[in-house]
Amino acid sequence: MTLTKTVDQATILSGDRSKLKDLLCNRLAECGWRDEVRLMCRNIIKEKGNNIKVEQLIADVTPRARASVPDAVKKELLMKIKAILAAQEGIDL
Amino acid sequence: MASSSDSTLAAANIDAKNEKNSNITVSGKTSANNTKMTIATIQKAYHDILKDPTSLDEAAHYLYQSLLDDAVVGVFLEIHHLHRTGNLDALDGVPEEGTDASYRIVDMPNYDIFGISSVKKLMDCTCPNCDRPVSASRFAPHLEKCMGMGRNSSRIASRRLATKEGTSASSSSSSSYLQTTVGTDDEDDIDWSSEKRRKKTNQGNRNNGSKKNNGKSF
Repeated sequence: MTLTKTVDQATILSGDRSKLKDLLCNRLAECGWRDEVRLMCRNIIKEKGNNIKVEQLIADVTPRARASVPDAVKKELLMKIKAILAAQEGIDL
Repeated sequence: MASSSDSTLAAANIDAKNEKNSNITVSGKTSANNTKMTIATIQKAYHDILKDPTSLDEAAHYLYQSLLDDAVVGVFLEIHHLHRTGNLDALDGVPEEGTDASYRIVDMPNYDIFGISSVKKLMDCTCPNCDRPVSASRFAPHLEKCMGMGRNSSRIASRRLATKEGTSASSSSSSSYLQTTVGTDDEDDIDWSSEKRRKKTNQGNRNNGSKKNNGKSF
């Protein structure tokens, strides 16, 4: 937990987190992953009726959504993250 | 492994420091210094993590997962909001014709595009008052007469009262009475209209006469 907290805080401080987030969102939109997940959500809403809660929806779709991220996007993003983290090492303090 | 545990220890120390700092900030003046301190401690811990390749890997993976989670939740919230506000149904739209036979355009003689016959039917309406079938074009005038509304309504109403009294007195004479009333009704109509015409013509004559008179006098 503490490792994740430090990483969170440090990346937010340096502004890398929002950069990476933008990049990821763009890539996911480009490769059609967003549309795919939207379709999954719609199907689940249709199956389970109108009064579904967000939490339920998240619990149902998250594993599938994670699995359906294209490998290329995943690899690219991990590369970018590592590059940024490595670059941070040299710059600060 | 040892180094990673070191880093976690360091992070734990940071947490402790953060807590202390927060306590101090509550008390007051040196808040700016404290934030600087916390930033410094965070960055120190961060560098500790980055120096070690295994923790670096872990950090990268964690970062990726958290970013992905954010993206997923973003999509969920968007969809859920659309669903709640009813816009999702709007996006789906109405199913096109072809799937449903009732929406198909009809192309036949004597039928319009909705498949309804364009040839006019003679409709018969049943009068709610006397239960007789009346053609639609004659329905409104009939109803007017039948229910005793309109110009000579007061006369008919009074007559109806009279018939009721008559029926209560003697039921056998009611049918003949009805026939006679219908007959007199028509006659009344004719009389009334002709009277009106006469009045109109009289008025016209008078006006004309007055005009002529005026012309003469001046």
